[in-house]
Amino acid sequence: MNLIQKILLLEIWKGLALTLKKLLFDRPVTIQYPEKDKVVPAPGFRGRHALVRDPQTGDTLCIACMRCARVCPSKCIYIEYEVDPETKKRKIKRYDIEALRCVYCGYCEEVCPVNAVVLTEFFEYAGYSREEVYFDKERLLKNWDEFIATQKRPYLNPFWKPRGIPEKYLPIKKRTFTGV
Amino acid sequence: MSTTLIEITSKQRNSNSWEEPFFINMGPQHPSTHGVLRLVLELEGETIVHCDPRIGYLHRGVEKLAENLNYNQTVVLSDRLDYIASAANNVAFCLAFEKLFGLEVPRRAKLLRTIVGEMARISSHLLWLATHALDIGAMTVFLYCFRDREWLLNIFEKICGARLTHSYVRVGGVRLDFTQEIIDELYKFTEEFPNRILEYETLIDVNRIWLKRTIDIAVVTAEKAINLGLTGPVLRGSGVPYDVRKFRPYDAYSEVEFEVPVGERGDTYDRYKVRMKELRQSNWIIRQCLDKLAETKGEPVLAEGAPDLLIPEKIKEPEPKPHPKKGFIFTGKEVDVVPPGEAFASIESPKGELAVYVVSDGSNKPWRLRIRTPSFVHISAIPELSRGYMIADLIAIIGTLDVVLGDCDR
Repeated sequence: MNLIQKILLLEIWKGLALTLKKLLFDRPVTIQYPEKDKVVPAPGFRGRHALVRDPQTGDTLCIACMRCARVCPSKCIYIEYEVDPETKKRKIKRYDIEALRCVYCGYCEEVCPVNAVVLTEFFEYAGYSREEVYFDKERLLKNWDEFIATQKRPYLNPFWKPRGIPEKYLPIKKRTFTGV
Repeated sequence: MSTTLIEITSKQRNSNSWEEPFFINMGPQHPSTHGVLRLVLELEGETIVHCDPRIGYLHRGVEKLAENLNYNQTVVLSDRLDYIASAANNVAFCLAFEKLFGLEVPRRAKLLRTIVGEMARISSHLLWLATHALDIGAMTVFLYCFRDREWLLNIFEKICGARLTHSYVRVGGVRLDFTQEIIDELYKFTEEFPNRILEYETLIDVNRIWLKRTIDIAVVTAEKAINLGLTGPVLRGSGVPYDVRKFRPYDAYSEVEFEVPVGERGDTYDRYKVRMKELRQSNWIIRQCLDKLAETKGEPVLAEGAPDLLIPEKIKEPEPKPHPKKGFIFTGKEVDVVPPGEAFASIESPKGELAVYVVSDGSNKPWRLRIRTPSFVHISAIPELSRGYMIADLIAIIGTLDVVLGDCDR
């Protein structure tokens, strides 16, 4: 740095010129989030949990195979089920997700063989108490109704049928699945 | 606090001089210590005589937790180590586990891993530059860096559905393939990003305040850097061209061209220069991988024989002859999921060399997992680097080492 540069503060002026240029000619990158602008998460964003409501029966698709509860790294899914004596099919009595424990890895939706559980793209669900983010079965189904009302049908989450994973690794129901 | 008081009294009793040493606590809530780092400083005027880092405020026991989770679940824990660049941690864990499983990852998955690894490096270096510049007093750089990091995080959100804790890599490959939209967006990013680097350099590269605060601060000679165990840009700033990507190439790094930038004097300014050059190299690597991605279009991203996300505890041995109707028949004999043994993998994470050593006893969980994280080693070098400098320079030293306390305490 020679004397003229030192006295004239050349590099400082250069930096100031850049910021002035940004100020005058660039559009602001910040958004006025809650008041004016809305944030739209990318498809497949891992947000609030939901249980898919079966369009035919109006109940959950879950078959109580317990795969999601076993794969969960933070053990935040609690399931109780009973076996129907006639049809020998399992029916869930309780399906709770403790969202405060959840690490949002999305493993549950990936291992579910019938695509019953999903992490929806809804993200504005902060609450004032723990009860507000402790989701039981009814609440999870309600979450799904709230979410699907904003979506185009049929809806297909990327983690239900991961792109690029060979078909033989997927359960049979997932191979032909096209969305709900 | 009690330990500090004991130290003070014992030192005062042993000291012969009239001058009492002055102790001060820096952190753990100090905004410039980048997390919950506490430094106990012994001062003489404003000069640091001794600096004693106290760590462990963010200890979560990741190594012990991993012993109770299966291999794929352990990858989720790795997100929480260096949460600025979690994709790089995922890769390190999965490389070690794949050596254990004996899996060969498909080429497309390797390329995808390289891309997310380099994206993690860019986003980590951008956050480093932003906070380092803010600590030293340049606010505009902070805002500009976060503007570009936001773009990168948005791409990450499209790739894997999360902005910070990706868990994108899984044992045997990656979880999702890229869509064409993501590839186009990344092309746009790599086109635009070199101009953005020029912007940061216009602001601080020759700025006299920046030069005064960085040149000849925390000088580390090459020999000292090696003795202290420093890795990554800190070591390369001292002129040692050690980069795991060149020495033990993993993923697709053997296919791509890139340079390893090194510094000369080993001061804070040189480390800044090295990281700025690395940003350009990372950008160049992403560009090359994107071009190669077109060749492997439509190929699977999961290896043959990769374990399910839900790895069973024990599997039953199938009979050699498959049953004509029922598929396979299983004998009652149980076999190991993973061959017992040990595996080691190390990668060049944005902060330095991240190494994972795993021992298996044949079950679906690691018997022991050991993680060597760069931040831990770098924090242990702070006393050596800060001796004789002012308190204000300590801020620059913490910044230049680029420590993340989640990575250090784990």
